[in-house]
Amino acid sequence: MSGTQKIGMFTYDVKNGLGLIDYNIDDHEFAHIIVDIKKCDECSHMMCVWGCPAQCYNFRDQGLKQMKFQYEDCIECGTCFIMCDQGAVSWNHPRGGFGITYSQG
Amino acid sequence: MDEETDFDAIVIGAGFAGAATAFQLLKEGIEGDRILVVDRGEPIGGKNMTGGILWGRELDAFKEYLGNWEMDCPGIERCINHKKVGFLNNEDAIFIEGRFASWDGTGGTEEPSQRSAWSVLRAKTDAWLAEKMEEAGIFVMAGIKIDQLNINDLDHTSYNARDLTDPDKDSGVGKAQKWKVDSLPRELVDKIRNGTISGIVQDGEVMTCKVVVIAEGSNSILTRAYHFDRMLHAQSKDDMLLGIKEVIHLGKERIDERFNCFPGDEERPPSGMAMELALSLYREMSQDAWEKYPNTKGQYPRCGGFFYTNEETVSCGIIVQLKSLPEGLHTYDLYQAFKAQPAIAALIEGGEVIEYGGHLCPEYGLHRMPHRFTRDGAVVVGDAAGLVFANGMQIQGMNNALHSGKLAGAAIARCIANGDVSAAALDATYTKALKKSYIFRDLKRFKPATKFLNHPGNFTWVPELIGKTANRVFREIGEEKFSAEKVLLKTRKELRKRNKSNKKGMNIFGIMRLGLLGRKL
Repeated sequence: MSGTQKIGMFTYDVKNGLGLIDYNIDDHEFAHIIVDIKKCDECSHMMCVWGCPAQCYNFRDQGLKQMKFQYEDCIECGTCFIMCDQGAVSWNHPRGGFGITYSQG
Repeated sequence: MDEETDFDAIVIGAGFAGAATAFQLLKEGIEGDRILVVDRGEPIGGKNMTGGILWGRELDAFKEYLGNWEMDCPGIERCINHKKVGFLNNEDAIFIEGRFASWDGTGGTEEPSQRSAWSVLRAKTDAWLAEKMEEAGIFVMAGIKIDQLNINDLDHTSYNARDLTDPDKDSGVGKAQKWKVDSLPRELVDKIRNGTISGIVQDGEVMTCKVVVIAEGSNSILTRAYHFDRMLHAQSKDDMLLGIKEVIHLGKERIDERFNCFPGDEERPPSGMAMELALSLYREMSQDAWEKYPNTKGQYPRCGGFFYTNEETVSCGIIVQLKSLPEGLHTYDLYQAFKAQPAIAALIEGGEVIEYGGHLCPEYGLHRMPHRFTRDGAVVVGDAAGLVFANGMQIQGMNNALHSGKLAGAAIARCIANGDVSAAALDATYTKALKKSYIFRDLKRFKPATKFLNHPGNFTWVPELIGKTANRVFREIGEEKFSAEKVLLKTRKELRKRNKSNKKGMNIFGIMRLGLLGRKL
């Protein structure tokens, strides 16, 4: 499984871009996004997968049978919360001092 | 001054809206140590992101605190005097380019000749603003996230803040989706939604104040939780845009050279270029996606591109309308396809990507504004209130944020002086001023522009038609030439043949309709 997509003339891995951001990842018990992956089984559109700019959501597009979500790569944009209409995404900002820090913005 | 409360005002979020509110409060005579600004970023600015152009001279109002901000602020990068609008398809790129001496204050007698647009990088700008706030005596706290507000006569431990925004785990999918807050006791919810706000709760500790200012930005949890914007509880993807941006390092000299920019001297900041683009790059990608995921067949992503020069770097990115995203297309792939377009690839050639980021941008317009901007003891400003203006020629939120902050600061100071910070009093000052300001007047005037902007043609055949026609009109390959009109009609015919949706969209009425909508820009 990889996030590499072939587009036109070149291949690109979104995780390269994420590697440039400063993360201070919080413990699992304080994860800022919690996904009820059982609900994802019934989902017909997987809009979180398509919308997330950080590839935190991996599912059938990657050949997986079950939703695999990781909050660690999240860039806190909120797209998944907007896209999910299955009531599976519980969204909040990370605790103070955790999450991403942009150096440019 | 009575000292019953810890602060006069607590501002949540140290972005442009929050900073403007705090500075304005100070200007109106509230003492600095009675104002608290909290931000969840550490350092401040670390969570903030923008495409990047700050329009207008709203910061001038705080000259006494900011000094010569144009030259001193590290995040204010280049003064824009050079604007481009472009149409891109996979092969062709057509740009309309304007250079305006009056924009950088070096010429022009008829238009006001002053610098009025800057490319900005928010991480640096906001850190600098926070520094200036502290210098002015305002309390600033970094790395603090607020998820609960203190409400009079309500124990903050009696509910879990997260429950206010979470979906209900046990019920309904799709349209019938329910929210946890709906299953909480009615009296409690009523208090949360209509009680008097009197401070913030941080790590179980209450800090009281007279007015809370919510300046959290576009993805505001507090606005949702405390019911300023009831629509946010429903899915709001219709009116949300996702911006994806990379900051690409090219070096100052290379940018000056490549974009023909003035390098800057002691009196004049370096000049820069701003470019906004209509894109039709996603035909093939979308068609591939439809084969795999036929649910959204016929749907093309509505994307716009932007490209701005900073001092050492360029900001290159796209804005995607979330509603239009078809299944099977990752947003980050849309961005990569934009970057690979030959005209864009040439601009960033040799550059090194130093940051990747994403951010939501509310494009609410008048129809989707929060249903209230004030509550007893609280106001909402800036992006959190959805005060972003877009009409295709311009997209701006930061100057609106500054302006709304300014209005809020003035209103709050007046209400505190009068000893009445109820919703009615704040409405009579803040909301009224907001509705009279250019922010609302612009939104009202350009309301019909949304129809034009969302027209599917703009994301498919318009850039194709313009690009291909220009390609043929400007070119000489030793064949018979035809007038521009003939070429245009021929290109139209070809494009109509090539694609079913084109056939429908590009009939003469479709084109006329788009033209008629476009005159409202």
